[in-house]
Amino acid sequence: MKTFTLLPVRSLLEGGRESAKPGSILKAGGVDLLDRMKEGLETPDRVVSIAHVPGHDGIEVGPPARIGALATLARLDSHAELRRVYPALADAAGGAATPQIRNMATLGGNLAQRPRCWYFRQAEFDCTKKGGAQCFALNGENRFHAIFDTDVCCCIHPSATAVALLAYAARVDTVGTRGKRSISIEDFFVAPREDPTRENQLAAGEVIEAVVLPAPAPGSRSVYKKLKEKESFDWPLVETAVSVSVSRGTIQDARVVLGSVSPVPRRARGAEKILAGARPSAELIARAAEAAVAGATPLSQNAHKVRLARVMVERALREILA
Amino acid sequence: MGKDKLRLGFNGHFEEKEVEIAAGDPTPWDPSQTFSILGARTPRLDARAKATGAARYSIDVRLPGMLYARILRSHDPATVVRSLDLTAARKMPGIRAVLAIAKPGDALRFAGQEVAAVAADTPERALDAISAIRVEYGARPFVVEIDKARADGAPLVFEGKVETKTSAGDAPGAKKALPRKGNVQGPRASDKGNVAEGFGKADAVVEGTYSTQVQTHSALETHGVVARWEGDELTVWASTQGIFSVREELSQTLGVPLSKVNVITEYMGGGFGAKFGAGVEGVTAAKLAKEAGAPVKLFLDRKEEHLAVGNRPSSVQWVKAGATKDGKLTALQLIVHGGGGTNGGTGTSGPLKNVYACDNVKTEEFDVFTNSGPSAAFRAPGHPQGAFALEATMDELAARIGMDPLEFRLKNDPSEVRREEFRIGAEKIGWAGRDARRRVPDNPALRRGVGMGAAIWYNTGGTGPKATVTIHRDGSAEVVHGVQDLGTGARTMVGIVAAEELGLPLEKIAVRIGDTRMPYGPGSGGSTTTPSTAPTIRAAAWQAKKKVAASVASAWGVPEEAVVASAAGFSMNGDAGKRLSWKEACGRLPEEGVSATASRAENHPDAWKRFTAGAQFADVEVDVETGLVRVRKVVAVHDCGLVVNALTAESQVHGGVIQGISYALYENRILDRATGRMVNPNVEQYKIVGAMDVPEIDVTFLPVWDAVNNTHSVGIGEPATVPTAAAVANAVSHAIGARIRSLPITPESVLAALDGKARVAAMPGRETREGGRA
Amino acid sequence: MKRLLDVLREDCALTGTKEGCGEGECGACTVLIDGQAVNSCLVPFAQVAGSSVTTIEGLTGAEALQSAFIREGGAQCGICTPGMILAAVALPKDADLQDIRRGLAGNICRCTGYEGIYRSLRAAAIPARAAD
Repeated sequence: MKTFTLLPVRSLLEGGRESAKPGSILKAGGVDLLDRMKEGLETPDRVVSIAHVPGHDGIEVGPPARIGALATLARLDSHAELRRVYPALADAAGGAATPQIRNMATLGGNLAQRPRCWYFRQAEFDCTKKGGAQCFALNGENRFHAIFDTDVCCCIHPSATAVALLAYAARVDTVGTRGKRSISIEDFFVAPREDPTRENQLAAGEVIEAVVLPAPAPGSRSVYKKLKEKESFDWPLVETAVSVSVSRGTIQDARVVLGSVSPVPRRARGAEKILAGARPSAELIARAAEAAVAGATPLSQNAHKVRLARVMVERALREILA
Repeated sequence: MGKDKLRLGFNGHFEEKEVEIAAGDPTPWDPSQTFSILGARTPRLDARAKATGAARYSIDVRLPGMLYARILRSHDPATVVRSLDLTAARKMPGIRAVLAIAKPGDALRFAGQEVAAVAADTPERALDAISAIRVEYGARPFVVEIDKARADGAPLVFEGKVETKTSAGDAPGAKKALPRKGNVQGPRASDKGNVAEGFGKADAVVEGTYSTQVQTHSALETHGVVARWEGDELTVWASTQGIFSVREELSQTLGVPLSKVNVITEYMGGGFGAKFGAGVEGVTAAKLAKEAGAPVKLFLDRKEEHLAVGNRPSSVQWVKAGATKDGKLTALQLIVHGGGGTNGGTGTSGPLKNVYACDNVKTEEFDVFTNSGPSAAFRAPGHPQGAFALEATMDELAARIGMDPLEFRLKNDPSEVRREEFRIGAEKIGWAGRDARRRVPDNPALRRGVGMGAAIWYNTGGTGPKATVTIHRDGSAEVVHGVQDLGTGARTMVGIVAAEELGLPLEKIAVRIGDTRMPYGPGSGGSTTTPSTAPTIRAAAWQAKKKVAASVASAWGVPEEAVVASAAGFSMNGDAGKRLSWKEACGRLPEEGVSATASRAENHPDAWKRFTAGAQFADVEVDVETGLVRVRKVVAVHDCGLVVNALTAESQVHGGVIQGISYALYENRILDRATGRMVNPNVEQYKIVGAMDVPEIDVTFLPVWDAVNNTHSVGIGEPATVPTAAAVANAVSHAIGARIRSLPITPESVLAALDGKARVAAMPGRETREGGRA
Repeated sequence: MKRLLDVLREDCALTGTKEGCGEGECGACTVLIDGQAVNSCLVPFAQVAGSSVTTIEGLTGAEALQSAFIREGGAQCGICTPGMILAAVALPKDADLQDIRRGLAGNICRCTGYEGIYRSLRAAAIPARAAD
């Protein structure tokens, strides 16, 4: 790893300001950044650490909930009240990575981490995400890659918490040199078509401060489910988070989200439309699950992921509409 | 020399045999014997050091003034070095030595091959310096897929002579010179009886093509050494399973006399077959240390470990088998193409030739060279691959003739030990009720299945090892023996055998191992360590004890034969009054105590010989909607001869089983076809089974008293992993009612099999490719 | 700036903390920072200023667990053992087998087969529970 200076800062704003300077980069838990630096993907002279900035690791369940960006995944997992109100988020956090990593990794870092695509992660491959000319996965080794939006860069977004937050219609609050803003989680991510070299719209000098989750509608239920080859430390083949509210036997509102299938977490709007206003039935669930994967454009080695995604949506819906 | 009449065999199958015992070697233990420590569950002698972090592995060695080295490697699979400029690297701060490993004009044959190396005062500076080395490469055409490498006109991995590496743990025949056409070398062939006639007599014939992936050893301690010169004498702390074979390689490569090279391995973090030689990294470290005039540490990182220092080769195996309708095998045939990268020795015929009895057996084994990292011996070379294809074939043939797969195996298995193991294992796994358990109540997506496989192994150790046992005046004893402990428990095994023979508690024994300045110890490969070492230790202890007895006899003024040694001490035949405790007898020894150095005797040719046998059963659960496989339980029944330490022997079987599960379901070196580079050189996407995925493992040992050596000991490391993947694959097939013919078994391969899309190839040479599957 | 792992191993000569993968995947480098198990290969050294770092050499109060590892064959080659023990001490005393498996999911052991490790943890928990 290239030699660097660690600059601890006292506020997020200072972190934003310092990290915007040339040769500098921001670090919270540092899990993803140190990995990238070891691979030589990042070679900063200065790492600006917000790890010890006080006051940003709180978990207020509300609802609405407000979770500081520096709250660790381990704390989201073990927070009983959060688990009761927002179970999909607690499960997404608790199922990620390993116990050691969950102790270090923060919610903000989990949202802002970079994809695990094996071409992106090796310096030898000058891929689109690094500003290069080609996506090596498109016609390469792509069994773990995207099945939607595969035209520019076929990586999948690695954040499990983002999948849950999308189902909860969360907002991302940021602070930066240009002031504060609150971004809908859906607008937070940037698709490769727009810019393959980044995954979110954080500007230079902008730092995630907190995530805000609206109060769940009365009668709503939610769930996060993932499918992994290995239970011990593995990335999901597919994951889904679903939130529905049911009133007098009719689904009022449904949010169906798919993760590990596209360059940014994906809302399955087709499925949501089928569910909204309908009465739950096995047939409805099957149709919604089918709609969730409609329009998939799988690659040479990952057609099975379409089926896996459909099965996981079906299982998630069955669980919460039972 | 003399012949002893011994009771040999196993429970319920004992027979008397006359066995010739060499002079200086004790008579093999008798089945009626009671042991004080042998066979018990004995904690490792070094367990405290391991549990407190005090154990010093070679990677932990720190010496005053020690430098850190790094290797520059090629990124591309086939290039020629045009020029190499080390000047800039030499001028960088803290750089103390720079070495060209490749020279201009050299062909580099895989991504990750060594080009140059540096030694610096810090690891960071070494890393900076290798990026300052300027190399011009000329690109050459390459091939990384085994089917493409076999095609006419494929780029040649070796244009001239084939340069392969072989090592102590390779499959038999790996070193033999063979014909070569293009990238295909071979065959190594065997032909018994007449397979055409055999197939003619068969009522049912099945054939299938089975493919397996490349698995890397992935020991947690990577390859590497710390090298130090003192004058013209070289000392190397190596992570190795053969301190003497490392010494040999360093001596030959560097032109230093064997007497001036010392290799030390105090603790070692796993090898699994890949760590017999000094390797490029070991030789490089020694050269850098010489140039710098300071000790050099060179350990690989995880990526280098995956790329360059060994793997279990891939295979494409076409198997054909025939049987009569009453269940007798009539013919077995195998054609295998193995992908060992730039290395050969990729055969898989062991199980097919040796497990089941068949009059007509024909095998042809071809190495297919590709531009990828060289294979190395890996825990039962060729056998997990071969067992996977053979055992699937046995299940298919049994189904074809309408016979239970267990019954079919029992009819064809010539090993009475394994037949007994099959019966024990079948009982434990609940074989009889397996069909009834296929459907899982309340969960229509789940299916359960049970499958089985046979283990075989051959080695029972051999001559060469020497050990010195010294008995001190205070009654304690010291064993010195140049074996290394790669984690198997060899150190403890040495202590237990000495304690048993001397009748001493283990605490009274000091065990010194892991240094080439000690009497020669065997390389730890081929599951030969225990059967080579244990009899040597026992012989040395027995001889040393006889020397104590001789001193007692001399004090009593009686002939040596009149003194009887026992755990309690020494007594005289026919005179109850004459007795001395062990401590008293030792107290009379001279200041230097007594020592005996014994050599490993030859294996007894008239012993109760057999191939080492094992049987494993797997119980799996398959989600038929997602294709996900979970192994619920593995029952492993093994012949380990006479177990020295039940705790460590059981641990070896557990380890073999989990590596087999990991191989069956997860591990896969994936090469990018377009660039020839490995895409998963880590332990994130090179998936190794972990704590959540390990099933219940039920281990049973069937004690076998064979008198091949004086301790009846047999190695267990390799047989324990031979049949696991086969049993898991057969269990998956039982669960889903469809055959999967490639490893690893993944969700997509299970779904494809369920969909009936699995391609059943009838001809050898089916198109296939290494790594990921379509 | 160095990684905490390098400072422990090279500067402090505390080689009980091992490097297996250097990417936070194998758990061999696990240490406790303020009582929490983390991968020391992913921590810049300066970040632990003001924190308490516990390595296997300085671990206290885990004698029962270490003795159980010794007795029950929890260590085979032993190179994963310090990391396993540090991940295990962070587990609750009443952890059941599923908790143990989940708690050790970030630690790879290439040779024991894990059974001996589980046995060690369960054996160590018995006196601890009795003392509660």
